[in-house]
Amino acid sequence: MKKWLTVLLGILLVVVLAACTADENAGEEGGGEDGEESTSEDSSVLRMNNGAEPTSLDPPIGFDAASWNVLNNLMEGMTRLSQEHEPEEATAENIEVSEDGTEYTFTIREDAKWSNGDDVSAEDFEFAWKRLLDPETASAAAFLGYFIEGGEEFNNGEGSADDVMVEAVDDKELHVTLTAPTNYFLNIISNPAFFPINKEVAEEDEEWFTEAESFVGNGPFSLTEWEHDNEMVLEKNEEYWDAETVQLEEVHFAMVDDSNTEYQLYDSGDLDNSEIPSDSAEELLESDEVTIEDQAGTQFYRFNVEEEPFQNEKIRKAFALAINQEDIVNYVTKMGEEPARGFVSPGFNDANGNDFREESGDLVQYDAEEAKQLLEEGKEEEGYDELPEVTLSYNTDDTNKSIAESMQEMYSQNLGVDVSLENTEWNVFLEDQKALEHQFSRSSFLADYADPINFLESFTTDSSMNRTGWSNKEYDNLIAQAKEETDEEQRFQHMYEAEQILFEEMPIFPIHFYNQVFLQKDNVDGIVRHPVGYLELKWATKE
Amino acid sequence: MAKYILKRFALMVVTVLIIATLTFFLMNLLPGSPLNEERSTNEAVQQNLEAHFNLDEPLIVQYVLYLKSIATFDFGPSIKQPTETVNSLLSRGFPISAELGIWTILTAVISGIALGVFAALKHNGLIDYIAMTVAVLGISVPNFVLATLLIQELAVNLDIFPAATWSSPAHMVLPILALATGPMAIIARLTRSSMLETLTQDYIKTARAKGLSPVKVIIKHALRNALMPVVTILGTLMAGILTGTFVIEKIFAIPGMGKYFVESINQRDYPVIMGTTVFYSVFLVFMLFLVDIAYGLLDPRIKLHDEGGG
Repeated sequence: MKKWLTVLLGILLVVVLAACTADENAGEEGGGEDGEESTSEDSSVLRMNNGAEPTSLDPPIGFDAASWNVLNNLMEGMTRLSQEHEPEEATAENIEVSEDGTEYTFTIREDAKWSNGDDVSAEDFEFAWKRLLDPETASAAAFLGYFIEGGEEFNNGEGSADDVMVEAVDDKELHVTLTAPTNYFLNIISNPAFFPINKEVAEEDEEWFTEAESFVGNGPFSLTEWEHDNEMVLEKNEEYWDAETVQLEEVHFAMVDDSNTEYQLYDSGDLDNSEIPSDSAEELLESDEVTIEDQAGTQFYRFNVEEEPFQNEKIRKAFALAINQEDIVNYVTKMGEEPARGFVSPGFNDANGNDFREESGDLVQYDAEEAKQLLEEGKEEEGYDELPEVTLSYNTDDTNKSIAESMQEMYSQNLGVDVSLENTEWNVFLEDQKALEHQFSRSSFLADYADPINFLESFTTDSSMNRTGWSNKEYDNLIAQAKEETDEEQRFQHMYEAEQILFEEMPIFPIHFYNQVFLQKDNVDGIVRHPVGYLELKWATKE
Repeated sequence: MAKYILKRFALMVVTVLIIATLTFFLMNLLPGSPLNEERSTNEAVQQNLEAHFNLDEPLIVQYVLYLKSIATFDFGPSIKQPTETVNSLLSRGFPISAELGIWTILTAVISGIALGVFAALKHNGLIDYIAMTVAVLGISVPNFVLATLLIQELAVNLDIFPAATWSSPAHMVLPILALATGPMAIIARLTRSSMLETLTQDYIKTARAKGLSPVKVIIKHALRNALMPVVTILGTLMAGILTGTFVIEKIFAIPGMGKYFVESINQRDYPVIMGTTVFYSVFLVFMLFLVDIAYGLLDPRIKLHDEGGG
């Protein structure tokens, strides 16, 4: 009996001890909550959801939206994208470009300060950009620095940091040489991977970016609290050179992963912004709290041109034209996406100010009659009595499944072809797709930077994004020329021609362009979401 | 006893080692890699990343490095969150999962035993039927359904508790309810059936005949024996709940460690897979050990020595 009692007491003791340590945490967190309550009345506190803990706040490492959302508001590069998504001088006050388009001279503004009061210097940029390219850093974004002379060599181990042509001429002047004229270079360097790093701070503390206390930024907001996996608090940065533009006093980023929970928090007033949970999309899309923004990216399908029957161009076209994209967008995905008639998404202006998509035109359009005709012709060309079996592959996901099923239905109706479906888990799917083991597979593309070339370079022969087995010399040449071309008009001409070729041979066909759909409280305004995926709170207001 | 514990301890080390080794090779058999991206990737960039995480080493070298990391309990950086170490992810997530878990288990055990005992005492009475209906519901309604329901009713509609996130005791109520209901129901059913069996034993009649008060008979004599099956499931239950639950933590946006078990595998985040596996197996093996010790103390007939306990 006594023993039994001792055990019971022992267990109780353990539990109480554990509960006590737990309670300590709870106490601390409770304190935080009190703070929250007092500020929730405050109208200039914006409550956002980041969905997850940022991958990293080290600029070259956090190469994804979860990191950019925060990072883009904590720091600032030489340029920042404007409300119209065009690069504007930011930390740089003045940018001079040489006649041949390869030499850039940036002059940093006098009042550009770090949040600890230090001046932002050209050396901070040199340090940061070389660190981005350093193979030791192992940055997934390093390839963006290959536009800089010596960048690729340093990153692949053939060169050294000294050969990278980024040089701090003096405290405020940075000189950069590119390998080729790159008109969109100012756009690329608005990416967080190119943000400066306070060299002095970084040399003293290698892990300065892991906690709020040690984080030093130079953006519109500064990081004041970071409870990992739970919440981040940003406050207006008074040291910021353009602080008077910034209206919000505080921004809270929650990290709620579940979209239903996110919506419930929005509904109960704990968030000012929410994604739309897919099961209630239809009804919520009608609400006047919805904002829809473009996103530079395309959902598409890849044919494997090395596998029957898709070695035949006409059969590929038949499969492309048999899909009614309008119906998929209206009845399957139902998120207000735009059906895609080409690969490059809307929003890129050419030299004459015309939108690339409009100018390039509708390169693929649903036409059941023509599809059937093309299929017959293709079968004849290949001598098929019966079409070889076709398997459509997608990675396991509810939306992908619905799209695939409706495509299956369309093929059966429009072409009289029975397509079988196959789904695998994401990582396995990617591995197979890269090894050209799929016959016909679901794909998506999100632009890394805002230029049509980023879309189109995907399908050159040696691109790791190709994954179709398709190769066309003329296409490769056009892309190479477009990358070298200084004349904007000529450059777009090359890209227009390239996209034409892509759709004449149809190794891929698009379904829809991506968009960003959000619910936003009526009293919130001015949040800018760039198509390349960064969130901008500099101009945001809350009444 | 000391010899037994020592032997059990050695066995525990071997068990964990076997689990860890199996996990390592199974994990590497999975197609895909943590560095698999849909976006276009550059070869040099990819190589730098592989070198950074030692993924370019032969498998056997990686295995040795891995054994070393187990021995020192330092699993290095996560591949998907490269500026975080696995240790910091776990040490951050575990206290939160454990806090939620302890309250859940307390709730489940206390209410489960109480329900079970009352049901057994009022066998085939109204209380029995009510208690068992609750138990059947608790077992059959999945906790994520219950969670969504609780949020919708108690948080959004009635606004009594916060809907999600983790910052105050009030935030804990809904996830605890959602998590505890299932185990509570299981415990209630177990307690009821073993109580019913125990109550018919001769020694209970003897105790009653001695003139002990009914409460004393139940608590001192009946319950003690009836608890054996409950103790049996408590070990696995504790290991499972204290180390976090993926679904509930996701629904309530609780920053616990549950998500790492699932997400690390989807993302092939090797160091995190290894860290969570080793952590969980050490925890589980230790809990099972505690259960065995508890057996011996609860039931004097079970002797803990070399040939016996196991």
